[in-house]
Amino acid sequence: MTDDRLLEVRDLEVEFTTRDGVVRALNGVSYGVDAGETLAVLGESGSGKSVTAQAIMGILDMPPGRITGGEIIFQGRDLLRLSGEERRRIRGPKMAMIFQDALSSLNPVLSVGYQLGEMFRVHRGASRKEATARAVELMERVRIPAAKDRVNDYPHEFSGGMRQRIMIAMALALEPDLIIADEPTTALDVTVQAQVMDLLADLQREYRMGLILITHDLGVVADTADRIAVMYAGRIVENAPVKELYAAPAHPYTKGLLDSIPRLDQKGGQLYAIRGLPPNLLHVPGGCPFHPRCPRVRDRCRTDLPPLYAVSEQAADGAADATGERAEAVSADPAQDEIARVPELGARSSACHYWKETVDDARRT
Amino acid sequence: MTPGAREPILEVRDLVKHFPLTQGIVFRRQVGAVRAVDGISFALYPGETLGIVGESGCGKSTVAKLLMNLERPTAGSVFYKGEDISALSGRALKAVRRNIQMVFQDPYTSLNPRMTVGDIIGEPFDIHPDVAPKGDRRRRVRELLDVVGLNPEYINRYPHQFSGGQRQRIGIARGLALNPEIIVADEPVSALDVSVQAQVINLMEKLQDEFGLAYMVIAHDLSIVRHISDRVGVMYLGKIVEIGSDTAIYDHPTHPYTQALLSAVPVPDPQAREGRERIILTGDVPSPANPPSGCRFRTRCWKAQERCERQEPPLALPPVLADRTGEVLHDSACHFAEEKPRVAHG
Amino acid sequence: MPEPTRPDTPLDAQGAAVDEAVITRTDPGRARSLSSDAWHDLRRNPVFVISALLILFLLVIAVWPSSIATRDPLYCQLSRSLEGPAPGHWFGFDTQGCDVYTRVVYGARASIAVGVCATLGVAVLGTVVGGLAGFFGGFWDALLSRTTDVFFAVPLVLGAIVFLSMIKLSGIWPVVLVIAALGWPQIARIARGAVITAKQNDYVQAARALGASNSRILLRHILPNAIAPVIVMATIMLGTIIALEATLSFLGVGLRPPTVSWGVDISAASDGMQFRNAPHILLYPAAALSLCVLAFIMMGDAVRDALDPKLR
Repeated sequence: MTDDRLLEVRDLEVEFTTRDGVVRALNGVSYGVDAGETLAVLGESGSGKSVTAQAIMGILDMPPGRITGGEIIFQGRDLLRLSGEERRRIRGPKMAMIFQDALSSLNPVLSVGYQLGEMFRVHRGASRKEATARAVELMERVRIPAAKDRVNDYPHEFSGGMRQRIMIAMALALEPDLIIADEPTTALDVTVQAQVMDLLADLQREYRMGLILITHDLGVVADTADRIAVMYAGRIVENAPVKELYAAPAHPYTKGLLDSIPRLDQKGGQLYAIRGLPPNLLHVPGGCPFHPRCPRVRDRCRTDLPPLYAVSEQAADGAADATGERAEAVSADPAQDEIARVPELGARSSACHYWKETVDDARRT
Repeated sequence: MTPGAREPILEVRDLVKHFPLTQGIVFRRQVGAVRAVDGISFALYPGETLGIVGESGCGKSTVAKLLMNLERPTAGSVFYKGEDISALSGRALKAVRRNIQMVFQDPYTSLNPRMTVGDIIGEPFDIHPDVAPKGDRRRRVRELLDVVGLNPEYINRYPHQFSGGQRQRIGIARGLALNPEIIVADEPVSALDVSVQAQVINLMEKLQDEFGLAYMVIAHDLSIVRHISDRVGVMYLGKIVEIGSDTAIYDHPTHPYTQALLSAVPVPDPQAREGRERIILTGDVPSPANPPSGCRFRTRCWKAQERCERQEPPLALPPVLADRTGEVLHDSACHFAEEKPRVAHG
Repeated sequence: MPEPTRPDTPLDAQGAAVDEAVITRTDPGRARSLSSDAWHDLRRNPVFVISALLILFLLVIAVWPSSIATRDPLYCQLSRSLEGPAPGHWFGFDTQGCDVYTRVVYGARASIAVGVCATLGVAVLGTVVGGLAGFFGGFWDALLSRTTDVFFAVPLVLGAIVFLSMIKLSGIWPVVLVIAALGWPQIARIARGAVITAKQNDYVQAARALGASNSRILLRHILPNAIAPVIVMATIMLGTIIALEATLSFLGVGLRPPTVSWGVDISAASDGMQFRNAPHILLYPAAALSLCVLAFIMMGDAVRDALDPKLR
């Protein structure tokens, strides 16, 4: 696992200064991606999922943003210690980003071919002709029909799906090791969404890239991700391989999200709804930030911020018959807590004091 | 659930809306038309929910505007309890509007930022003063806030002080103020956070039971439409291609577009991803200014034959379903309509 | 309908749905309108505070000049012509031997009266024309916008000179009327744009769906949301209109003696010889004018920062 580790974010903290006060957008976010792996970062608006991506890419607006702590280790180097020039050289050849809104991410007055070729001219010193040829090649690779005829067209002449393909082509241009896709299909129609996700998955396999897929859509995640990091109020609340997470979520928030989506194959009745609202980042509740909305909240949740506990099959099995009282007793024991704490990134983990009950409950139903 | 012999509360017949495309600044001449809605018919029965699904540009939002009389149809009519309302104006139109209200997609632009919540929800009473006597309005507004799950004390707050989900509740309260019989909801939850969407859907269902509302819900999210709808219509390029009960559409779709649409929906279950068969359509939706001849879906359809180019398939009961009974019976606009077993959820 | 909260209830999936409505009632804080937010911002903006104090001061002396200047601005002693500052006459005397300090103080009234009245005229005319063009669109938009363009094509200063030299009436009203009649196209364009932007919001559609009349939609929904850029533009224009009045007076077509105004005094003091011998007679009215114009332009900038939601 460690040999393959492409990117590791450790305890990243970001603040924003606004007119209403300091917003703590990230409060110690840690996650990792291996080469060839797809990590989905799942969260609602304000969870900090996009801010993390911007910090990794080095495109965070500073000010008002400020990175107040943590490390971003990419291929063995801490990106936060590099100079602006060094980071610029990493963007493009080493890591690239795909945005939600392809129309505003492309320059409307330059032809698509020119913008695609720009990467080769800037980073590889290619000639104009060469760059155009590479642009056509890229457009073919992202399956844009009649690429040769369309290379000189402008962004507005393409449909939404085609523009998103061009964005993907641009990100792929220099064959980076890591691609961050921020809601890449949210603006697209269902049928086109499927095309684009398929393309992205194929290309990732082909180039063995690491992919960070930022999304709020649990369906998209289930279809493509290997692992999932669920974010809430600027923290990771659960980190798990995709199948395990869907089979038995270890955090009540994840469980709530899964239960609240209407399914095509299930109909009728009242939907389960997470009560309340996502927190205002200016006034994040004390203790566990999810406690005001949590169905299994206890007194401890209001005061103690849960660390990321390692979720292991054995531990969960052991507690399978535990009642609420017993779990309380177990967690109250500091020695037990120490054991439960996770140093290892990438292992399954949950930031809930009562993750055992959550997993067991999910298993039972 | 099935409409049966009841009278429809709202009926749409051969509704057409073309937006002219013009050229020139001073002397405008028409060079073509965007055929946003091109001849659709359906009926809405009291107390039921009709869902309309389709991709962007299929004309579903234009249908909402036509129903609300915010746009005038190019042809065709909208009947409310048997009366053609698409040609009404002035006092008569205002009277009909009391009974048909709308919930908008974007909770951030659908509330006037310079008015208090009380003024926003109370505005229907200012426009239709006979609904509530002047002294009673404040109380009614507080009641409405309570009904949609907001604290009545917030009557003097402004919209920007609320989150998206709360704003959508305010929008719903405004829609309920005049005690309408029909609510047209255009993408009511698509702008909301996932965890809040379920709350708003539950609220809408609760209100439907409480007030006996008929809903016309327009959305691109097939899962949400299935969850709340009794009947579903699928739109493609200004036409309804398939319409029927939710069971008919979701479990027995016969139109290739419906089948593709259903199979493309990401299923929140990683176990399913290897097993299920997905139909991935090629290409994009053609421009509604220049739709394909014959069947509009033929350019992306894997079943397309020469006949599809020549002849437009009517929206009718397909022969394959002729010997079936019950909810499965439904209309589909395809020459080669047939069921494709278990396409939606493998 | 409200149910008591039961936060300590251990997990029950249905329960969460029941409590949901209650928990949604998190407190959004006290009522804060957009304009109160803007005011909150403004009060903390030093540029605004300085310019507002300055403008307040100018307004006070425009209304009650005698509060800080006890002499009569028209009482002149030719014997003291062009004398420099002296005790009790800190700004010295002008060519006619009038007290410069008194004249600068009294000059504020005419300058600000012209500025405020002409700006009001410009703002009202521009908002009405631009607003109607933007709201109704189509034919009316074409007609009103082309009319605006025609007026826009007339250079403001040149047009004002031509009309004022034809009218030959004294007092501030001819100046006000001519500036208002020629200055509105700028506001009209801004108002039209703002109305078109506001018109596209869903809340306008919502009001229409409720059956609201055009006048209700315009006055309740569009105008309050479109007026901010007009206010900003008008505040900035107020400064330039005061400068324009001075320009016209300087050229001899605006205000004329015996009206006391900064422009009139600047004009009288602008003889090269006099400036060399007695620079104070030009400097003081010119400084007062610059300060006043600057104050309004700064105020306009500060108001724009506070009202423009995009900068938030």
